[in-house]
Amino acid sequence: MRRNRHLIRAFLAATISWTAPLLAQQPTGTIRGRITDNSTQQPITGATVSVGRRTALTQVDGRYTIAGVPAGSDLLHVRMIGYAQADQPVLLAGGDTVVVDIALTIQAIGLSAIVVTGYGEQRAGNITGAVSQIADSQFNGGRIVSPAELIQGKIPGVQVVDNNEPGGGISLRIRGTTSANGSNEPLYIIDGMPVGNYSGGGISAGRDPLNALNPDDIESITVLRDASAAAIYGTNGTNGVVIITTKHGTRPQVEYTASTSASEVTRLPQMLNPQQFAQAVQAHSSNAGQLLTAKTDWFSQIDRTAYGQDHNISVSGSDPNTDWRLSGGFLDQDGILDATTVQRLSLAFNLRQRIFGDRLNVQANLRGSREHDLFTPGGVLSNAAQMGPTQPIYDSASTTGYYNWPGTLLQSADNPLEILRLGTDQGTTYRTIGNVQGSYRLPWLGEAFTANLNLGFDLAKADRETFNPISLHAQQKTGTDGSDYHYNDAQANSVLEMYLKYSSPLRVAPGIIDITGGYSYSQSHSDFSSYLGTGLSTDVLGGNGVTSALNVQNQRFINEDRLISFFGRATYNLNDRYLASVSVRHDGSSRFGPERQWGNFPSVSIGWRLSQEAFMRGFGSLSDLKLRGSWARTGNQPTAFYLAWPTFQAGDAQSQIEFGSGNFVSTLRAGNYNTNIGWEETDAYNAGVDFGFANQRYTGTVDWYTRNTSNLIFTVACASGSCLSDRITKNVGRMRNRGIELALNARVLEGPARLRWTAALSVTHNTNEMLGIDPAAGATQLLVGGIAGGVGNFIEVLQPGYAVNSFFVYQHKRDANGRPIYADNNGLSNGKFTGTPDGTINEQDLYVDQNGDSVINFNDRRPLHDPAPKWIVGHTSYLGWGSWSLDFTLRAYLGNYVYNNVASNLGTYQELRRGSPYNLHASVLETNFDSPQYFSDYYIEDASFLRLDNMTVAYSFQYHGSPLRLFASAKNVFTISGYSGVDPTAGLNGIDNNIYPRSRTFSAGLTVRL
Amino acid sequence: MNSRTLALAGAAVCGLLFATACTDLTVAPKSTVTSGNVFSDASSYRAFVAKLYAGLAVTGQQGGAGQPDLDPSFDEGFSQYIRLWWQMNELPTDEAIIAWNDGSLSELNSGNWGSSNAFLGAMYNRITFQVTQANEFLRQTTDAVLDSRGVTGPLRTEIRTYRAEARFLRALSYWHAIDLFGNYILVTENDPVGGPPPQRATRQQIYDFLVSELTAIQGDMPAASAATYGRATTIANQMLLAKVYLNAGVYTGTTHDPEAMAAVNAVIGSGIYSLAPAYLNNFKADNNTSPEIIFAVPADGAHTQSYGNTNFLIHASCGGSMSNGTYGVDGCWWGLRLKPEAYAFYPAGDGRASYFYTSGQTVAVTDMFNFTNGIAAPKYQNVTSTGAPGSRTNFVDTDFPMFRLADAYLMYAELYLRGAGGTQQQALDDVNALRVRAYGDSSGVITAPELTLDFILDERGRELLWEGHRRTDLIRFGAFTGNTRVWAWKGGVLGGQTTPATLALYPLPASELIANPNLCQNPGYGGTTCP
Repeated sequence: MRRNRHLIRAFLAATISWTAPLLAQQPTGTIRGRITDNSTQQPITGATVSVGRRTALTQVDGRYTIAGVPAGSDLLHVRMIGYAQADQPVLLAGGDTVVVDIALTIQAIGLSAIVVTGYGEQRAGNITGAVSQIADSQFNGGRIVSPAELIQGKIPGVQVVDNNEPGGGISLRIRGTTSANGSNEPLYIIDGMPVGNYSGGGISAGRDPLNALNPDDIESITVLRDASAAAIYGTNGTNGVVIITTKHGTRPQVEYTASTSASEVTRLPQMLNPQQFAQAVQAHSSNAGQLLTAKTDWFSQIDRTAYGQDHNISVSGSDPNTDWRLSGGFLDQDGILDATTVQRLSLAFNLRQRIFGDRLNVQANLRGSREHDLFTPGGVLSNAAQMGPTQPIYDSASTTGYYNWPGTLLQSADNPLEILRLGTDQGTTYRTIGNVQGSYRLPWLGEAFTANLNLGFDLAKADRETFNPISLHAQQKTGTDGSDYHYNDAQANSVLEMYLKYSSPLRVAPGIIDITGGYSYSQSHSDFSSYLGTGLSTDVLGGNGVTSALNVQNQRFINEDRLISFFGRATYNLNDRYLASVSVRHDGSSRFGPERQWGNFPSVSIGWRLSQEAFMRGFGSLSDLKLRGSWARTGNQPTAFYLAWPTFQAGDAQSQIEFGSGNFVSTLRAGNYNTNIGWEETDAYNAGVDFGFANQRYTGTVDWYTRNTSNLIFTVACASGSCLSDRITKNVGRMRNRGIELALNARVLEGPARLRWTAALSVTHNTNEMLGIDPAAGATQLLVGGIAGGVGNFIEVLQPGYAVNSFFVYQHKRDANGRPIYADNNGLSNGKFTGTPDGTINEQDLYVDQNGDSVINFNDRRPLHDPAPKWIVGHTSYLGWGSWSLDFTLRAYLGNYVYNNVASNLGTYQELRRGSPYNLHASVLETNFDSPQYFSDYYIEDASFLRLDNMTVAYSFQYHGSPLRLFASAKNVFTISGYSGVDPTAGLNGIDNNIYPRSRTFSAGLTVRL
Repeated sequence: MNSRTLALAGAAVCGLLFATACTDLTVAPKSTVTSGNVFSDASSYRAFVAKLYAGLAVTGQQGGAGQPDLDPSFDEGFSQYIRLWWQMNELPTDEAIIAWNDGSLSELNSGNWGSSNAFLGAMYNRITFQVTQANEFLRQTTDAVLDSRGVTGPLRTEIRTYRAEARFLRALSYWHAIDLFGNYILVTENDPVGGPPPQRATRQQIYDFLVSELTAIQGDMPAASAATYGRATTIANQMLLAKVYLNAGVYTGTTHDPEAMAAVNAVIGSGIYSLAPAYLNNFKADNNTSPEIIFAVPADGAHTQSYGNTNFLIHASCGGSMSNGTYGVDGCWWGLRLKPEAYAFYPAGDGRASYFYTSGQTVAVTDMFNFTNGIAAPKYQNVTSTGAPGSRTNFVDTDFPMFRLADAYLMYAELYLRGAGGTQQQALDDVNALRVRAYGDSSGVITAPELTLDFILDERGRELLWEGHRRTDLIRFGAFTGNTRVWAWKGGVLGGQTTPATLALYPLPASELIANPNLCQNPGYGGTTCP
C-alpha cells in the first residue's frame, strides 16, 4: 500500500508542475457559463468548452469555468458527442469574467446518452467496450417479479434463464459459460453497491436473491458484456457485470401503479391416460388386480389458475440542490402449482444532495424488503406424474383421508394431493441494501480532481422451514416418520471504496484524458445453521417446533471472505474521434492459497470513430461509425471457501462408529486442502463495429469475441495416495467461448401520422468448447448432470473438444421409421457379437458399438449436443398510435438440446411391475422400452423454439389533469417448439425432470401520476 | 465546517483505514477445526482412529449421506466400502446377481467390466482413502509429535494401541487392494501429503509389507474380549494374517500354507470365540451378541447410518412379493438374488437355505434386470434373533461379519487338505460342527472320504454365501475364470461361458493411470501393461 501512496503523490506533483508555468501569463480573463440541451433545457455534463488552447469540461450542473484566457476576441467552441458543435464569438478584457451560456442542438440521439460504467459514466458514443444499456421504457412489461426478467431477450450476448416459478432463481449467462466449478453468474452492482456474483448475489430462502429489489424501482440496467469493460471489476468481472441504477426523484410527484394478473399452466408431462395405463398394466404386469376404476388427472389436482396483484407507490421531490424518492411496493403472486406463492413488501429511499455550491455531492440509497415464499412441497410434481391414473384421490379409510397404494412399498408413488395439503414448505427473506456515496470536487488544481467515497452494506436473513407430518405415506414408507427441517441463514456484506478521478483536458496534449484510481475493500460474513429432526413424536406443532424427534441433525457453518483491490483506469478521447482506454485491477482474495491470493487484471481497448473523419463526411446519411477493439484479462474465484486450509471435519451423531462394545463415538476426518489454489483467468478479445444512419434513427452494433479461460478450477482426481482423499480442487482446465453478437435498432416510423414504430433485434451466437483438462490431474473426462432414475447416474460430460455439459450418450440404433430399436437381434459369444438373438434384450441389441470391441459398455458413450443455445434471437417492437402503445418481445433459441428425463425415467414398462405400478410417460408407446435406457440418445431432443415472451397494450390519457395509463399484458403468449417435454428452456443444464411448468400470464393495471 | 476541513477529515479517515487495513487477506476458518487446534482436545485421537473404522461402515461425516469422504459426483451409497467390496466379490461369481442397471454396475454381473467402470474406480479410491487417513493418523501420533504436544501417561499408552489398530486397518485395505487389483501403490506415513504421484508397488511388495506389518503390530493390538467389539483385536489380526498367507500362492506364486495354518490355529486355539447356536443369528439385528464374530463392520440404526454396508444388503435382497416388514426395513430395493448355481448349492435339509424366498421367483435368471428372476436370499435381516425389529426401519442395526469362526474352521480344513499340517479328525470335526448346526441334526455329517478340496469350495459357498469371500475362494481354487466352473451370465451370456484368466484381476481405473504415470495396467485391459 505504501508504494501506491507514493504513486498518487508523484502523480499530483506532476500535474501541478504542468499547470504552474501557464498561470504566469498576462493579461487574462475568465469565461464561465452553463451548457444546456436546447430542447429539454437540461444541463449537459462533460461537454468540451474550448477557447484558443484552453479547454474545460462542464460539470454535473452544466457549468464550466475557463480561467486564464488571454484577453481579446476569440471563438468559443462547445462540443458534445451527439450534438451539433456550437461556436460563439467572445470578447474578453484582461481581468474580466464573461458569462457565456449556450444551448446545444441535439443531432444524433443516443450517442450522447449517459451510460453507467464501472466507477463512472461515459457517453454512449465514446464507449470502447461492448456495453448495453436498457432503460425502463424498454423493459419487458407484464408481471415481473425478478429484475433480470426485465431484460430477457433484449441484449445480445445475454441469456436470461428463469425457472418458471414466480420469482424463482434466475441465472444470467453473458457470452457463454466460463467456469465449471466457480460461479458463472455476472457481478451485480446496485447503485454502486456490489452485491456479489452468485445468482442475484446473496442468500435467500429459495427464490431469486435479487427479488429484494423491486423491479418498479429500476431506472436502467447496464450490462458490461466484454471483458475490457468489466475488467475494472477484476476478479468478479469474468462473467460480465450487470449495473442496476434505481430511480431518482425528478420533480414533485406521486405515482401509483397497480396491476392484477391471472396465470394458467401451458404444458405438462405427457403421461398415459387411465385407459392407456390400464391396458399397459394388463399387458405388461401381474399387478392388474391393484387397478381401480377411478379416472384421475393428478396434474389437474395440483395446478390452478393463479392470481396476483402488485401495487407500487412512489413519492418524489426535487429542488436545485436536492432530489429524493421514496417508494413502497407490495406484490402477492401465486404460482400455477398449488401452494406456490411469493409475497414481497419493499421500501426504498434515494436521496441526492448537493452541498458547498455543488462541490460535494452526496447520494444515499437505502432499500429493504421482506419476501415471504410458499413453495409447493417437494415430490408433488413427480408424484403427480407417477401416481396411477386409475386410482382415486380420496380414501375415507386411510388416516389422512387420501388414497395411497396399499402397503408401504418404498417404490410406490405417493398421493401428490396428500403431500400438497399436509406438508408445508415456506421461507422468509429479509434483505436490506444501503450505501452512501460522496463525491467531492477538490478545490485545488483547477478542480480537476474529484474524490469519491462509497460505503455500503448488504444484510440478508433467510429462514426456511419444511415440514412433513408423520402420517404422510411418503414418510411412512421411508421410515422417516415425519420430518421437520429448518435453516436460518444470515449474511452481512460490507464494502468500502475510495477513488480519485481526474477529468480535465490536459493542456500539454490535445484530447481529453480521464483518470480514475482507487481502492476497494469488501468483506462477507455468512452464517448458516440448520436443523433436521426426523422420527417426530407428534405433529401438533406443525413446522413451528418439535416436541421430540428420534434423529436430530444440527449444523452450523460460518463462511467469511475478503476481497481487496486497487484499480486504475485512464481513457483518452481525441475530438470524439480517437478513443482509448486502459485499466488495471490488482485484486486479492482470501479464498486462495497464500502464494496465489493476488492477481492482476489489465485491459486495453481502442475505438476509432470513422464517421468523424473528413473522408467519411457526406457518406450517405451515416451519423456514426465506430470501430472498436479490446483485450482484457479477468478473473474468477471458486464458490468454495477455505480450500487452502488443512481442516478436520467432525462427524455427526448418525455417522458414529462402535468403538468397543456399545460405545458409539463421533469421528474426525482429515480434510483435503490445496495451498496452491489460484484464480481462474479469462483472456478475452473483442472487435466491434457501431454504426448509425440518419442521425441515429437506424443504429446497429456487431461484436466478435473470443474468450479463453485458463486455470479453470476443477475438483479432479489426485493421484491416488498423494492427497488425503480421492479428489482435490485445483486449477487445471481450459475452455473457450467464441461468438458473434448483433444488435439493430430502428425508429422505423416516427410520428407524422401519429404512428410510431421502433424495432430492435438482437442476435447472439456462442460456441463453447472445453479445451483441456490437465491429464496430470487424472481426468480427461468428468461426468456431470445428475438425472432422476437409478442412483448416481450422470448424463453430461466435461470433455476436451466438446462444449461444456455436452450430453454423453449411446447412439441408439434406429429402424426405418427413425424409431429406436427395442428388440432382441444380437447375442454374444466369446466376446463377439453373433448377430443372432440370444433371448434377452440388452445393450448389444440397442446401441452402436462405437469402439468396435464387441462389448457395449461405458466406453461406447459419446458426447452429443449440449444444452446451451447456439443462437439466441430477440426482437422487440414498440408501436404507438396516438395515445395507444403496443410492445411485444419475441425470443428464439436455436440449437439448444434438452434431455427428457421424465420420459427416460418413466417411459419403461418395467415400472408397471413394481409392487404398485407407476404411471408411464407416453414415449413408451413409441419406444416399447421395457427396461430403462437412461443413456440413449433418443432422449436428447432439439429444443429450439420461438416464443412470444411478452406483449403489452397501453392507453395513456389525462384524467382531471393527471396523466393516467391503462395497460394490459400477456406473458408467454405462445411457444413454437418441436420439443416434446414440458418446456424447451429446461433450466441451464438442459435436464427436464419434473421442472416447474411454464405459465401464461395475463395482467392488467393502471398508473396514475399526481 | 468549510470544505477544506472536510477534505482534511476525509483524508485522515482514509489514512487511518490504509494504515490499519487493509491488504491483509488472512481469513481463517471459524466453524471448522484445523490441524492447528484439533489435538488440543485429547479425545481427538480416539475420534480420528474411530474414523478409520468408520471408513468401512459409513460414507461421510453425516449420517446416511452428506459430508462425503469421496467425490460427491458418484453417489455416496454406491461408494460405500463394504457395498463395493461385496459387489466386486459376489456379483461376478456363481452366488449373486443384481437387478440394477445403474451406470456400469451390471458389468459386474457378467464380467465385461472395463477400466472406466465407476464402481471399480470408487473401490480403488475407498481403499486409498483408508490408507491415507491411516497414514495421517500415524504422522500425527509419532513419538516426536506426541512429545511436542506433551502427551504422556495413559493417553500415550492408549495412542500406542490406536497406532496398531490404524496399521491393522491400513493392512486390511491393502489386502483388499492386492486381492482385487493386484498392482497398487504403497504409501505409508513416510510419504508426504501433496507429494508426487506414488510409485507402483507389485503384489509381492505389498504382500511382504502386509506380512511384516501384521507380525509387527500383533503385540500392540487390543486383546480380544467382550468389551472390544467393533475394534480389531489380536485375534482379528491373526485372522487377517491367515487370509493373507492362505492366498499367498495367488498373490506371489509361492504358497505359505503352514504359516496360514499357524495363524488359523491361533484364532481357533484362542478359545475366545464359539459357534452361534443358530446360523442366522450371525446376520440379524443383534448379531453383535453372536459369540462367533471375530471382526465386524458395525451398523446401527441410530448411530451408524449409511446406504451401503448391511443396509444395502438387507434392502437390496428384498423385492418381488416379499414383505419388507418381515426383514425389519421400510421397503425393498429389488436388487440382489441368487444365481441358479448358488441355489443349487443346498440339498434338501440344509437349514442354511431356510430363509430363501421362492414365491413368485424363478430359479433361472433369464433377465438379470428383473428381480423375480432368481431366488431371493434375504440372509441379512434387521430383526433380532428373538424376532424383534431393529431400532429403525430406514437404517439397520445388523453388523457385517467380516471374519467369523466358521470361516476359520473351513480354512483349517482346507489347509489340512493342502498339506499344511493339522489332523484329519480335527478338520472333520470342524466341518461337521458347521453341518450339524446347518441341518439341526447329524443328517448332514460328512465322512473322511467326502472331505475334499472340491467339497471345501462348495461348503464355503454354502456356509459363507454372500459374505464377500466367493471371488477370492474361486480364484484360489482356480475356478473363477476359465471353464472349470461355469455359471449364469459368466462371460456375458445367459448360459455362462469360458472367460479369460485376466478377469481374475480388476483393471486399475483408467483415470488413475492418467493421474499417476508411474502406474501400469493389468493384462487384458489395454493401456500400458505391467511388465
